[in-house]
Amino acid sequence: MQLLSLLLLAPVALALWPNPRNVSFGTSSVILSPTFWIHWASTTPAPSDMTAAISRTMAQLYTDNLQRLVVGRANADLQALAYAAELPMLHLEIIGNSEIKSIMAEATCELGSRDESYTLSVPADGTAAMIQANTTLGLFRGLTTFSQLWYSTGGVASTFPFYSFFPGASMIYSIEAPVTVMDTPAYPYRGLLLDTARNFIPVTDLYRQLDAMSYVKINTFHWHVTDSQSFPLTVAAYPELSQYGAYSAAQTYSLQDVQNVINYAGAIGIDVMVEIDTPGHTASIWESHPDYIACWNEAPWGTYANEPPAGQLRFAVPEVLNFTQQMFASVLSTLPSTLFSTGGDELNTNCYVNDTEFQQALISTGQNFSSALNTFVLGTHDTVRAAGKTPVVWEEMLLVQNVSLGPDTLVIVWISSDDALAVAQKGYKMIHGPSDYFYLDCGAGAWLGDDTDGTSWCDPFKTWQKAYSFDPLQNLTESQYSLVLGGQQLLWTEQSGPENVDPIVWPRAAASAEVFWTGANGPDGLPRNSTEALARLHDVRYRMVARGINAINLQPQWCALRPGDCNLV
Amino acid sequence: MYLFVLLLLVPTTLALWPNPRNVTFGTSSVILSPTFWIHWASTTPAPPDMTAAISRTMAQLYTDNLQRLVVGRANADLQALAYAAELPMLHLEIIGNSEIKSIMAEATCELEYRDESYTLSVPADGTAAMIQANTTLGLFRGLTTFSQLWYSTGGVASTFPYYSFFPGASMIYTIQAPVSVMDTPAYPYRGLLLDTSRNFFPVADIYRTLDAMSDVKINMFHWHITDSQSFPLTVAALPELSQYGAYSAAQTYSLQDVQDIINYAGGRGVDVMMEIDTPGHTASIYESHPEYVACWNFEPWSTYANEPPSGQLRFAVPEVLNFTQQMFASVLSTLPGTLFSTGGDELNINCYVNDTLTQEALSASGQNLSEALSTYVLGTHDTVRASGKTPAVWEEMLLVQNISLGSDTIILVWISSDDALAVADKGYKMVHGPSDYFYLDCGAGEWLGNDTDGNSWCDPFKTWQKAYSFDPLQNLTESQYNLVMGGQQLLWTEQSGSENVDPIVWPRAAASAEVFWTGANGPDGLPRNSSEALARLHDVRYRMVARGINAINLQPEWCALRPGECNLV
Repeated sequence: MQLLSLLLLAPVALALWPNPRNVSFGTSSVILSPTFWIHWASTTPAPSDMTAAISRTMAQLYTDNLQRLVVGRANADLQALAYAAELPMLHLEIIGNSEIKSIMAEATCELGSRDESYTLSVPADGTAAMIQANTTLGLFRGLTTFSQLWYSTGGVASTFPFYSFFPGASMIYSIEAPVTVMDTPAYPYRGLLLDTARNFIPVTDLYRQLDAMSYVKINTFHWHVTDSQSFPLTVAAYPELSQYGAYSAAQTYSLQDVQNVINYAGAIGIDVMVEIDTPGHTASIWESHPDYIACWNEAPWGTYANEPPAGQLRFAVPEVLNFTQQMFASVLSTLPSTLFSTGGDELNTNCYVNDTEFQQALISTGQNFSSALNTFVLGTHDTVRAAGKTPVVWEEMLLVQNVSLGPDTLVIVWISSDDALAVAQKGYKMIHGPSDYFYLDCGAGAWLGDDTDGTSWCDPFKTWQKAYSFDPLQNLTESQYSLVLGGQQLLWTEQSGPENVDPIVWPRAAASAEVFWTGANGPDGLPRNSTEALARLHDVRYRMVARGINAINLQPQWCALRPGDCNLV
Repeated sequence: MYLFVLLLLVPTTLALWPNPRNVTFGTSSVILSPTFWIHWASTTPAPPDMTAAISRTMAQLYTDNLQRLVVGRANADLQALAYAAELPMLHLEIIGNSEIKSIMAEATCELEYRDESYTLSVPADGTAAMIQANTTLGLFRGLTTFSQLWYSTGGVASTFPYYSFFPGASMIYTIQAPVSVMDTPAYPYRGLLLDTSRNFFPVADIYRTLDAMSDVKINMFHWHITDSQSFPLTVAALPELSQYGAYSAAQTYSLQDVQDIINYAGGRGVDVMMEIDTPGHTASIYESHPEYVACWNFEPWSTYANEPPSGQLRFAVPEVLNFTQQMFASVLSTLPGTLFSTGGDELNINCYVNDTLTQEALSASGQNLSEALSTYVLGTHDTVRASGKTPAVWEEMLLVQNISLGSDTIILVWISSDDALAVADKGYKMVHGPSDYFYLDCGAGEWLGNDTDGNSWCDPFKTWQKAYSFDPLQNLTESQYNLVMGGQQLLWTEQSGSENVDPIVWPRAAASAEVFWTGANGPDGLPRNSSEALARLHDVRYRMVARGINAINLQPEWCALRPGECNLV
């Protein structure tokens, strides 16, 4: 195999993340021609978000200004560049005859029909590079890969005649041409959850998270937008929900904000799955609709909720189902995505035991707790389907409450990675978000007051290595594999906000991005392992920092420049 | 007692941090007059850094724009402001007849002589406020306290005639006048350690950290500036050290940078204690002086060092002592402070066993390794004293290596809080920095490669509550109490950099700031406890964010507005 022999010759690997499914590379240097450009090769004009993506990529090539992570940095490569070929251009070509749609249209269509595949070639001989794909979304993924190939000489003068006219100009180069990539994701759902209710996250910070997500080909933003602490989402049909339920008027997402986030995400290949968590996690609805909420702020909260304040929808009351359906319908009509999460985690039954309205509703409808919950959840799911979307729920709806969910329903596993098997045995499709691998908030100590020695409930901290070691198919039988749609890391924000969202998420969340893009084995055919991945993840981190993301250092810079020298011995 | 009566009447408390030693407050509202000003009441002109501090305080009063952390925020207080008196001015008065020096001069004098005491009164009747102190440093501490008293109406219109001319202008107010404070720190050393070698921190980040430190009256910046990974410090006599030992030319501190940082710190009441760690933690010196460093980058590194790369000064070689003394002398001559740390932690003996040059030097001098170490350390300490400064060392120099340290030497306890007693038993002064309470880097997982399930060596994460529970006098007998100079939290930066220094440090490092300022009991006479402190620490966090520090949320904002409601139950 060409690849294996190259690995023996050159101790370096391409620093692509997520690793493509198939890749080969050489040992030749190529620099971007001073007149390098990206050519849209179809006769049909490029959709506007594709044109924007091309412009952004062109800018990144010259502004990343990332020197390769080796001892000596750019100086280590200058000699190799003396005889490098110049890459004149990159062709982007849609293959096949399907209609050319926007990146956003391709990114927000049904999970099963998204096509993110692409091929990329960067010759070493000075001929043009090429990305081919069936869709603009595939071309965009290829552009993301392409942008990870390049390093800067960091303003070091060059012997090339052209550069002598521009003292201080950098050469943009790769030392591993020719590069050939054939790529397509292993799983269609690769997400990140952000909670914007425990603490508010301004839209600009969400944009920055979306940027970072797109750099590692994460394709779904699971937006846990409301919770018991605050209701920042503006709902057109019920403006009072955020008017009274948000922390303040400034801490809301307007209708326009939501559209802006969706459009920003779509243009960079990300679908937004909004979650309005019900019937638990809804105490903030009490501020505008006290009649709909049981056990609001009852003490001790520990009896009525997993965290303060207590308060849940009186789901047995028909008016509450009606309200929830209208709320969902109002929001759903604004969402291009085909996925919508109705939540369903951590429902507390004590909340309803002494709630008069709830108990009377059970009597008048002749239902018990369980059948009333079934009516409520399936009723809200009918609303989701009526809007042409697929409902998504947290695992308890299936595994604890035994709601008779429609077979289309997606189930999100979060309590433990062990629960995936039970979901599969019931025949449901699932998204992995297990707290024992993927929770980004764990390990920072208890946030409850009056708890001096407390640790977080999900200690310890989930390292990127831990997330990276996740096996999406663990415990499953082969016939169940197709039920796994993908997975995501998750940031619950009791102890987070715009101040730390970058460093707590990045580059850690790149771990699951590769788990679900690349699958079990890397392009070398070997099982994924964090020892190999570390050098590439350093590259992700340094490139993210270059692009304005406050991603943390994984090691001292000394180690980042010397792969393997800081391994445990 | 007046205070106790008030506590029964009002459920609120002043949100001062660190808590003053003595404070009383009332229930009257006072707003800053539109013509409020700060009056330097001495006939001697104010030193320039005092004038600058007054200007900064004036700016903060109007730019903090912090609404009080209560449900309803500023709206909750508007009614109380209708009949508030206006505070016309704040007098700053130096008492006594000592010479008026700059804040920096007062902040960098010997620990025992620093006078940070002050009194502050803010009357409720519209008469002027007053800060009195013996020193400009004391006045500065008083200004810091004063600035924490005020909240903003957040642009809410007022019924006051003046404000009707300025729609959208905010009133700046307190609702707890009259305030009377008598304050002085319990311990003279209240520090923060930042490691700028494992990863580099630009000067701007250090400025921001110094700002945050001064906001909570931390008075020592323990600058662990060099280590085995990089040598960013420019040494005038030995410029090659940073030229070859820094990560890059851009990742160095120039002579001017160091002076800028010292002056910036001094102007904010912070003394800089620089540390050039020796004879271990010096592998980066190999880059410029390979002949001075033993076992450089040996494998496996763990045999020769606590972390990669290995490499330590050949301290037994007389030329190396001479070199170290020259290096120290060159740096010391630029430092105004009276403290300098020569390091001394984690010395690895294996490094020297097969090191020919060390063994030859031992033979030539007739010393064993221990004697040679003593000669070396005491020799470097002579250099420190020759420049009029006091040496500080990590605890191993005393407790493990048994160096016969001069009685003036200050010992930094770090391995365990249990080691303080052994230091005291030997009669040395100490600074507390125990890893089991004060290490800010713990709990974020293993940073070494090839260790998928690894945790940090000092797991778990050290919460602010844990740091806050530290007893500086634990295990000591009363006669040893005066050996405790204070303490500090510490950030080692294997996994940190510009990107996360704010959120990993703040507001956590405010915990030790209060431990060592306020002492065992709060102004109410009750023992310090984190349940009481949480509401005040929220205020610290929100005010820091207002001042541009990316301090993290400690809880959901819902909890921050409702003290006690998110306590563990």
